[in-house]
Amino acid sequence: MLAVETKNLVKQYGKATALKGLDFTVDEKEIMVLLGPNGSGKTTLLLILATVLKPSSGMAKVMGLDVTTQPTRVRQILGISFQDARGFWRHKPPEILRFHATICGVPKSRRESMIEQILKDLELWDARNKLFMHLSGGQGKRLEVAKVLIQRPPFAILDEPSSQVDLRGKRIIWEHIRKLREEGSTILVATNEVREAEYLADRVTVLDQGTNVVCDTVRSLKDKIAGGDIVELHVDAQDKTDLEKALSKLDGTVKIASTGQNQFRAYVSMAESWVPKMTSLCYKKNVRVVSVRVTEPSLDDVFLHFTGRALEATPTVE
Amino acid sequence: MSNVLRLVWFDFKQELNPPVWIIMQWFTFGMQLAVYGALISRLVTGLGDYLQFYAVGFVVMMTFEIGSHTGRHFVEHAHEGRLPYLLSLPIPRRALFLAITLQGGAELALLLSVPLFVTLAIIGNLTVISVAAAVATLFWLGFGVAGLMLGLSFIAFRSADVYAAITAALGSLIIRFSTVFYPLIFLPPQYASAAFLSPLTYGADLVRLFLGFDPSLLLNPTYAAAVLAALAVCTLGLGVLLLQRLVEGVKSG
Repeated sequence: MLAVETKNLVKQYGKATALKGLDFTVDEKEIMVLLGPNGSGKTTLLLILATVLKPSSGMAKVMGLDVTTQPTRVRQILGISFQDARGFWRHKPPEILRFHATICGVPKSRRESMIEQILKDLELWDARNKLFMHLSGGQGKRLEVAKVLIQRPPFAILDEPSSQVDLRGKRIIWEHIRKLREEGSTILVATNEVREAEYLADRVTVLDQGTNVVCDTVRSLKDKIAGGDIVELHVDAQDKTDLEKALSKLDGTVKIASTGQNQFRAYVSMAESWVPKMTSLCYKKNVRVVSVRVTEPSLDDVFLHFTGRALEATPTVE
Repeated sequence: MSNVLRLVWFDFKQELNPPVWIIMQWFTFGMQLAVYGALISRLVTGLGDYLQFYAVGFVVMMTFEIGSHTGRHFVEHAHEGRLPYLLSLPIPRRALFLAITLQGGAELALLLSVPLFVTLAIIGNLTVISVAAAVATLFWLGFGVAGLMLGLSFIAFRSADVYAAITAALGSLIIRFSTVFYPLIFLPPQYASAAFLSPLTYGADLVRLFLGFDPSLLLNPTYAAAVLAALAVCTLGLGVLLLQRLVEGVKSG
């Protein structure tokens, strides 16, 4: 069974259309990352799946339950961490987590120990006596994520889970998300942070202007970019021109550029299969390979490749 | 049901911690009654003890302001993002709206408790049934006003400033052009016509009827009860409908 399935999903806000007939699926027990710029429809999709928003048309199911006709049952199996920390401004973090855990059915016997553990893990323990309105942006965001971690739902939605959080905090949050998946949860993460997507994703769906542009594993998406891998090559060759010609004829080579004496930059597809071919070629031609440095494309490049625009330069719609 | 009560208590307990706003409301009522009410009642003749009339009127005005505050509070929660959070909890929508309504009712009961007790003590000589009927009328009026503010909340989603200005202006008109502080029969005809448009006219006159005021000074109670019932049902229904449209969106296809 698919954990999430949408067909021809449309959401309109007045005249603006946030989702334009979106077809999208998430497998059970995977971390699916929605990657897209602001205004691409990520948050709208998440809010529809969480039954906070209703779709204008189309179908959306979570664990086989229709979000429009079975919303309460959907909410019973999911937890959501919102993009902005949603607060009871005059409550303290442990009170907020206790309330959330109680409403979401976390057993009383485990509640207090879980709250303490999560607060410590997310480095909120020292802020436990502060009111929510006195927390920093990063602390508020950690508390928002903590709600899902304490709930441990079968299906977890996290909207930009580490935005406003420092690097160390990001790593802690990411580890907890992966642990949640290891325990059997299906996880849907929306982000416009490439590092976050690369760290977490089993698969990535690129959303742009309310449509699903492409969906695959990070590796496959990168491999789909012809010439996306860059190999910096330093050799000790007698005949540099002959070697350049031979390299340009290798399977997977898109372009070869000379960057200095006995130095090349090769733009190739799938560097992991190109490099062995290159080394055996050099061996045959009695050329010593001094150094090889492979740079693979980032998800920024993937977005650019599939949409024709850079991730960060994309104008917002909403 | 336990989740509904949990929701109500979780938010409501903060009103008591510390209860500054509640005590200030009671203090305002006490000062207004002891100073302004006591003095003006010596100037007003032909209405029996005007202090009693004034005290009931002030309680009705407080009911309006608390109901209005509850509606506004709900809109603020939507803006702050608390409402989406509540909508994502594993609670049926009906239970969620019941919790919000109960919270408004609990707030109303707490804030009115002392002023109402003082007013009843001033009037004296009342039966349990008449007091219960007056309290029920105040609650019904409170829900109607809260619903009215929810109905207006669609303005707030576009501009909180315009919403605040409109509700403040509307509030002052609804209070002044009503029978909260003066009986209908004493009003000039043009003012009396306007008073018929104010929900407070019906609330104030019905409460006064239950508390034993002279019926010749008041509106027909059947008429008043019907208008109040229609107001609460219509505005609450409209408020919930509009909020669902605005917060959740609408499935159109």
